[in-house]
Amino acid sequence: MKKNHLSRRNFLKLSATSALALGLGPVREIYPSKAQEEGVVTIYWNPGHVYDTYQKVIDQFQTDFPGWTVNWEKYQWPDMRTKLLADFAAGNPPDMTAEPGGWVQEFALGGQIRSLTEFIEADGEAIEFPDDWQDYTISRNSHEGEIYGMQIHLTCGLMFYNVDMLEAAGFPTPPTTWDEFLEVAKATTERNVFGFAPNQSSGYSWAWLLQNNVQYYDPDTNTVPMDTQDAIDAMQFQADLIHVHKVAPIPIAAADYEGPQKLFTANRAAMIITGPWDIKPTRDGNPDLNWDVAPALTGQRQSTFTGGVSMMIPKDAKNPEMGWELMKRFTALDVELEATKEAGMTMPRKSWSTDEVLEEIPYIAEFGRGLNYAEDTTAELRRTGKFGEIDPLFNKAYEEIIYTNRAADESLIEFVTEANRILSES
Amino acid sequence: MAIRSSVQTKPVQFGKYNKERISSKTRRAIVAYAFLLPVIIYFSVFFFYPIALELWASLRNGLPLVGESQFVGLDNYQQIFQDKRVLHSFKVTLIYSVGSTIITAVIGLILALILNQKIRGRVIIRSIIFFPYMISVVIIALLWGNILDPYVGILNSFLYAIGLDGQYWLTDINAALPAVISLVVWQNMGYAMVIYLAGLQNIPEQYYEAARIDGASSLHLFRYITLPLLAPTTLFITVIGMIGNLQAIAPAYLITRGGPADATNLFAYHVFNVAFDELRIGYASALAFMMFAVIFVLTMIQFKIAGNQVEY
Repeated sequence: MKKNHLSRRNFLKLSATSALALGLGPVREIYPSKAQEEGVVTIYWNPGHVYDTYQKVIDQFQTDFPGWTVNWEKYQWPDMRTKLLADFAAGNPPDMTAEPGGWVQEFALGGQIRSLTEFIEADGEAIEFPDDWQDYTISRNSHEGEIYGMQIHLTCGLMFYNVDMLEAAGFPTPPTTWDEFLEVAKATTERNVFGFAPNQSSGYSWAWLLQNNVQYYDPDTNTVPMDTQDAIDAMQFQADLIHVHKVAPIPIAAADYEGPQKLFTANRAAMIITGPWDIKPTRDGNPDLNWDVAPALTGQRQSTFTGGVSMMIPKDAKNPEMGWELMKRFTALDVELEATKEAGMTMPRKSWSTDEVLEEIPYIAEFGRGLNYAEDTTAELRRTGKFGEIDPLFNKAYEEIIYTNRAADESLIEFVTEANRILSES
Repeated sequence: MAIRSSVQTKPVQFGKYNKERISSKTRRAIVAYAFLLPVIIYFSVFFFYPIALELWASLRNGLPLVGESQFVGLDNYQQIFQDKRVLHSFKVTLIYSVGSTIITAVIGLILALILNQKIRGRVIIRSIIFFPYMISVVIIALLWGNILDPYVGILNSFLYAIGLDGQYWLTDINAALPAVISLVVWQNMGYAMVIYLAGLQNIPEQYYEAARIDGASSLHLFRYITLPLLAPTTLFITVIGMIGNLQAIAPAYLITRGGPADATNLFAYHVFNVAFDELRIGYASALAFMMFAVIFVLTMIQFKIAGNQVEY
């Protein structure tokens, strides 16, 4: 009986046909234009910023561009960073992504994100970008003269204070200087209640450092000039709150930065330094808490750290125009005001900071004023590409001073020596 | 019936070619490899290929795998021995691994000895003790992070309630690592208990009977029968435990972020930070290979020391 068998020729024909049918599939441009009728726009976001306001923006986008779907993926910052790096390696990044501050310079330096120049030339005037954005939000999102990111939230660190505790201690108004602050902290400290709750993250110490005229990085000398007496005094002041005056607890080494806010909400701390991200948790955590927001203290000058989320478009994004379209919509002034009303988040537009609506939203007006004297501490250092190596060293120095009460001058000198060695290798 | 030899050769017409028929031994080998092929492909793609890539990355600076990079030879490996943070994290990891492994094994053995007796409710008790092992490490981290919070946590609240002072579990550099070791032991002791129970139940009862007849006490029975015959089980638990604990990242990542002041900065967590926070992927790859070498050497030492004393 003749056996049926697959000859090599037939096998090759079948393989080729299968490859054509399955392997090619629908042909698709790598960078489709908006004229494409359908597609999926993927954006990465932090789950803490998933506001109803932004959901409405996405819904409207999908209405205006029928056939397009927004794939809104949420990740905590550390997870988003590892996901992004994996995506860059695989050549499959999202079309737009949020970032917590600093990634724009890093990834612009590495060539992984797209310059927004062509988009700004087309649409910038219509959306008043960059003119309506606070000036330092442009420099912190720029690299070699080109803008790579767009700020969506702009925050700064101010003092939350417990009105009832301060009044009970004889202080009808919050402190304005370091000496007043120490006096209030001592007066409000009692058993299981602290005058002040510091944060474990070294970023929060920049309020004190800036107020004492300390600079993280000097681009003129390419050095970290933090072994000055001003820097030592600022760090020692913070450590003394815990170990000498005993008005502050040692911060908890935890995976989140919510420790001080939890103590504040639980009536266990009279004052904390934090940003607008803690307005909603505090409001929700203890609706009966009588608290307010005070301006930043004045040391040698009044200042505080700034921060906030930006958005950027990866170089290999498949739908960069759609990513840009969403960026424009998320930062429209009416959307900014809605997000502020909803979540208490503060925004980068100059027109936002002067909008009279802010006066009606509890706690926000003070942040609006604070944004005018807040400073970005890390932008210059990030442009060197060495921030990733140097900041963990500063964090270590901070923790040694705060947790082990190591003398501030010893820790800072050791940190500066190592940091400047790293910078000198660049 | 005559059994045909499995080795038979016979010329077979196959198209234009003459080939000997494939022997059944070769055929069996081909079939075996065909079944193994999916696993070989899986391990090649998801293990060996990434390892080879990482070895390549460890010889480079810049952004290997992600962007531009330059070949630097063994510079990254040389840097490891001068990096104080690496040496510190290695020391922390060694203390964590040895502490967790030994304490888990000891507690697991004690629980197994107790629960191997005919005690009422022992099945339920065993299940309760084993339960934490089944819980996700993320949930355990969140749970214990809250319990150990020195200011609002349940543990200190309880201590205050009974008139004792609370402890700075996660803020004291001397208490943080023991606290982390404790919760890891709590999670894994049930697993060790189950493995030891299996080992105990494999020891023939006749040995104990014979020893009792000869006048052996309980301590003698434990020391001269139970412990030696549990040696293979102990070897398994300690080797697997050490390998797992040397690579641990979850406690540092989820609970303490390596703090306070690097007191719980486990090696794997440090490597993760070097790679993804500091973007020094080449150096992180070199660190990972060094850890592989260390784990390999320590495992060999364990087998050498303990393996000689294992009785079967």
